[in-house]
Amino acid sequence: MNAPTIVLGVIGADCHSVGNKILDAFFNEKGFRVVNLGVMVSQDEFIDAAIETGAAAILVSSLYGHGEIDCEGFRGRCVERGLEQIVLYVGGNLVVGKTPHEAVAEKFSAMGFDRVFFPNDDLEKAARLLEEDIRARPREPVTERPA
Amino acid sequence: MRDKKMPLAQLLAARPAVLSSWPTGAEVDLDEAFAWQAKIPAAKRFSTAMRAARDARRVLTQPRAGVALIDEHIRLLKYLETEGEADLLPTTIDAYTRQNRYEEAARGIEKSVNAGTSLLNGFPAVNHGVAGCRRVTDAVSRPVQVRHGTPDARLLAEITLAGGFTSFEGGGISYNIPYTKNVPLAKSLQDWKYVDRLCGLYEERGFPINREPFGPLTGTLVPPCIGHAVAILEGLLALEQGVRSITLGYGQGGNMAQDIAAIATLRELADEYFQDAGFSGYELSIVFHQWMGGFPEDESRAFSIICWGAAVAALSGADKVIVKTPHEAMGIPTKEANAQGLRASRQTVDMLADQPRIETPQVLREKEIIRREVDCLLPRVLALGSGDTAAGAAAAFEAGILDVPFAPSVHTRGKILPMRDNEGCIRIFNPGAVPLDDDIAALHREKLAERARAEGRSVSFQMVTDDIYAVSKGRLVGRPR
Repeated sequence: MNAPTIVLGVIGADCHSVGNKILDAFFNEKGFRVVNLGVMVSQDEFIDAAIETGAAAILVSSLYGHGEIDCEGFRGRCVERGLEQIVLYVGGNLVVGKTPHEAVAEKFSAMGFDRVFFPNDDLEKAARLLEEDIRARPREPVTERPA
Repeated sequence: MRDKKMPLAQLLAARPAVLSSWPTGAEVDLDEAFAWQAKIPAAKRFSTAMRAARDARRVLTQPRAGVALIDEHIRLLKYLETEGEADLLPTTIDAYTRQNRYEEAARGIEKSVNAGTSLLNGFPAVNHGVAGCRRVTDAVSRPVQVRHGTPDARLLAEITLAGGFTSFEGGGISYNIPYTKNVPLAKSLQDWKYVDRLCGLYEERGFPINREPFGPLTGTLVPPCIGHAVAILEGLLALEQGVRSITLGYGQGGNMAQDIAAIATLRELADEYFQDAGFSGYELSIVFHQWMGGFPEDESRAFSIICWGAAVAALSGADKVIVKTPHEAMGIPTKEANAQGLRASRQTVDMLADQPRIETPQVLREKEIIRREVDCLLPRVLALGSGDTAAGAAAAFEAGILDVPFAPSVHTRGKILPMRDNEGCIRIFNPGAVPLDDDIAALHREKLAERARAEGRSVSFQMVTDDIYAVSKGRLVGRPR
């Protein structure tokens, strides 16, 4: 199997760039083809990049607390744009205020994210889960894009 | 000395377009704003508090704090004033407002009303307008500062200064490079010239506005010379526009000797460069930011970092310390957690108040290194601008002479690669195009080689990753597992 492509970015008006650079280096080293959109990425920019590169997964980061507002409707938007099967991860400090991880995970799972991560989670474990989740899903049908 | 101040007519001509960029801009009337500022008692003026702290050699405490709604924000600040014993208060602005996305801020306000809790990470001051800001600044008894991260803060400055705030954080470099993706430096520097000129105008009319460039930049392994160069440049830019009260900042690195040396040299070098440029009569103070990197979730461990930062602030002779909270690993703190961080800092700072500054041989050595480095950078930056400080700064970033590590902006090269040495000092492995003298660059490499030998591995990006995670995992230096 070719290296799976993943789209990486920090959503909304968030400019936290340090973790994004570490994730980029880490997932590259793990053999993924990383399309890193950097900070301040809109839902549509994530989806455009995923469609253009035939990505198997979108990894959304949010550190500044507005994750709840910024991620609203993300899964629906993916489906609307034809990405029914894409693996959708979210991680960071996703809500305003100290909230139990379980409550945050439940909220974002209900929003359609496949997995929810927190700042001090183990990256090695995340990479293993990502490989499994990508393998478990059929790839998107290849669609011709108009020139 | 050439007068670089923006002509008043130019500022006045630029104002209508700024004020019409959101409906609340229409509330700003400069003469009425001056009349409002005239009613602010001296005890609530930021510049007065900073000068008094400097004279009394006290370290003032200040939190970060801001929520979506006015009443809730007032309750928060009053709590930090009474229960947190904060000397100075903030109003931290939400991230949508920082990017001039006022429609989204409005949506955040509405959602916060419906949710019964703040869904914004700060106070949307532009949306709340002049009257809303005045309710906040009027309700508290301490000086209040606008803290944010806004590349184009012209409207925010207009509204908050008219709204009774007496200090404004940021600058054309420090609120661009670490805070956004693709705003050209020439643009943010021009917009901040407007902000500085507006502050200078208030100063001329007898209402000093304290200005505080954001020292820590990306808050991640930033070598002291880089932060200092940017801080001094932004200090010069503010002075050129008529600002008199300036607070320069530095974010805790973690090695005590290097941190103490950084605070001492920031004050000394700023004075030297300001005076070389012909300025006098300004009031300079120094702020120390407690650890800006990742925190552990364990609140006891977080308190340890907070108090260590407070201790170094006191022992280095800083005038103000910006305080973190035990909720740092989890994002925006509750008001209770914020007050806890303040009280923990207060206890440490006060216990150290009568103890002398620390000046060991190691501190003196680090001071010498930082001085040499800043003197490698700043004269070149200023020469590049041929008398135009802002042009010099923009050209220096373009050429890579100034470079900020781990920044989101495409307008810094991001080639500089720092990491910790075996004692935890921040050193530069690869300076990119930053023109350090050969002997200084060699010293950095030798220090890192020493760590590599001690750890039995070669110097690599893995060390940087390990360093970035180290504090949240309980250490300063990211040793191999």
